[in-house]
Amino acid sequence: MNRPMGRRAGRPVLVRREQVLRGGQPLAFGIGLAVALVVGIVLLVGSGHDPMRVYERMFEASLGDPRAWSVTLNRAVPLGLAGLAVAVAGSMGLWNIGAEGQIMAGAVGAAWVARIGGEWPSPLLIAAMLAAAILGGGLLALGPAIARARIGVNEIITTLMLNEVAIRLVQWLVHGRWKDPDSHNFPLAPMLPDNARLPGLFERAHVGVVLAAIVILLFGVASSRTAWGYELRVAGSSGATARYAGISLERKILTVLVLSGGVAGFAGGIELSGTSDRITESLSNGFGFAGIIVAALALMRPSGVAAVAVLFGAVQIGGQSIQTMGVSSSVSTILQALILFGAIAAGVLSRYRVEMVAGDTTEVTS
Amino acid sequence: MNEASLIGLFEATVSFGALLYLAALGEMIAEKAGILNLGVEGMMAMGAVTGFVVALQTGNPWVALVAAVAAGAMIGLLHGFFTVVLGAEQVVSGLSLTILGLGLAAFVGRGSVGEPAGAEMVSVDWGPLSDIPWAGPILFAQSPFVYLAVITGFVTWFVLWRTRLGLAIRAAGESASTADAAGHSVVGIRLAAVATGGGLAGASGAYLTLSLTPQWADGIVAGRGWIAVALVIFGAWRPGRVAVGALLFGLTLALKTRLQTFGVDFSPILLSMLPYLLTISVLVAISIRSRNRPSPAPAALGIAYRREER
Repeated sequence: MNRPMGRRAGRPVLVRREQVLRGGQPLAFGIGLAVALVVGIVLLVGSGHDPMRVYERMFEASLGDPRAWSVTLNRAVPLGLAGLAVAVAGSMGLWNIGAEGQIMAGAVGAAWVARIGGEWPSPLLIAAMLAAAILGGGLLALGPAIARARIGVNEIITTLMLNEVAIRLVQWLVHGRWKDPDSHNFPLAPMLPDNARLPGLFERAHVGVVLAAIVILLFGVASSRTAWGYELRVAGSSGATARYAGISLERKILTVLVLSGGVAGFAGGIELSGTSDRITESLSNGFGFAGIIVAALALMRPSGVAAVAVLFGAVQIGGQSIQTMGVSSSVSTILQALILFGAIAAGVLSRYRVEMVAGDTTEVTS
Repeated sequence: MNEASLIGLFEATVSFGALLYLAALGEMIAEKAGILNLGVEGMMAMGAVTGFVVALQTGNPWVALVAAVAAGAMIGLLHGFFTVVLGAEQVVSGLSLTILGLGLAAFVGRGSVGEPAGAEMVSVDWGPLSDIPWAGPILFAQSPFVYLAVITGFVTWFVLWRTRLGLAIRAAGESASTADAAGHSVVGIRLAAVATGGGLAGASGAYLTLSLTPQWADGIVAGRGWIAVALVIFGAWRPGRVAVGALLFGLTLALKTRLQTFGVDFSPILLSMLPYLLTISVLVAISIRSRNRPSPAPAALGIAYRREER
């Protein structure tokens, strides 16, 4: 297929490589990380800090010893589950941008169970809380799921809008009905009773780390080794093919989006019961949005999600630790976004090469 | 409920409406060209902090506004580079832009938290018009940003629907390969549209820090960027309807702090859910209606265009 390209001399164009470069995504991630760290050095030097000391502190606080690892793993739990939620929908070509709100809805469900079941034995209470969390997240995704499956309403916007609704629902609860009478008028819900808290694992890490790993593993197996996962990918790549194969698109869309919401809700339940110990307006502090970056970096694959989540957990925990050195924690936020942008660029270059096209008459074969 | 507080309510409605309208127009222009940019929240934050910091240094609000527009356009172009030139997923790039913009804004503004504003936009005095009861304070004593928003709305409508350039922009958003075949540079059009959108989001952010709440604090944008994204859908990608939506959503923002004054026993937090719920309802209504007629959404919205792969 020949087509005239370009009108001016020396115009760069992207030409698809015949073979994708090997080691693609881990390499792209590494390049993204490198780009982010270099820009970080510029920001740190520009604000009068020694970048090497800052990075050393970030590393020590997040991956330097077992205690640091335990905090990082705790943080990786909501990031990984949110990333999994996005990846589950993404494997079918759907976008769940609502993990942020679904995490909140899950936490509300779990907190509600903790309020009524304060006297229950701990394992029963925690199990009920986590079930309610899954239900809460799934319920928030149910509307967008039905709308998408039945009448084709764009799920990107509906899930995005419900984030804001869910966050305000939590604000409403902690400013009113659920406000702790002993909180000195701060918008805080009461602390969870001890039997509603997840047992510890090592150092600061809680059992949620194991639960999240199991859930991610289950989805990894289900998506790559079962007929269900295969059908999802078929349905995601071509609706027509799926219909010929007798796959009900409507049902698939419905289950996948609700399941995706349930996974995010589960993250909210674990975050509440394992880490935050009380429901607050900032319980999901951008985990849902970071989860989208995590899933994108993992190319929507569950196995990759776990690895990327641990690294993002480390960047976030490291970012918190440098505040004591007088460095703005926004540096870590910037790093996270830059890792993704750098990785996208590297990912594109592993699939395309840049060619200079000169003059009017050039013909490029693609 | 007295006259003065009602006038105050409508005055604030127009102010908030203009704030949302500026950002929503920018998003609409980008979407009309086929690029969904979920980075509005981040671009507004960049505009807000740039406007504030430049005002601190120059003392001139107009220079600050120009700088804010430039900052918004530049960070918007980052989204343009990734989605238009590299063909990256628009949802992922846009959300990352929000995160990057919020982070960068916090970083740039970290020394300016709590500082008094270096300069503020003075409200326009329309002479005798400003003295008309009701209409005077509500319409003719507003910040220059309000009139800027109105003018931008008209210009956007005119350019998009009454000029050849507008036809090319809309073609890029409806069918990129058709626009390309007609001799238009899809890459150029889309980059320009995203940059324009970023510039308007920057202006909207500057309205916050140069006029509405002349100070800088993290989280000053407070979700209004998401409302702007919602508005484009609510207004079915038409400047006039987006303006009506902006006033309606502006009313909910203005009411939020005034419910108690009016003696209404309803939670302002629940009220603030309204724009998002209304947008979902409109989206559902559009989908039900578009079973019989074409959807108002640009057909190529969200789809990357690579000439050699068409």
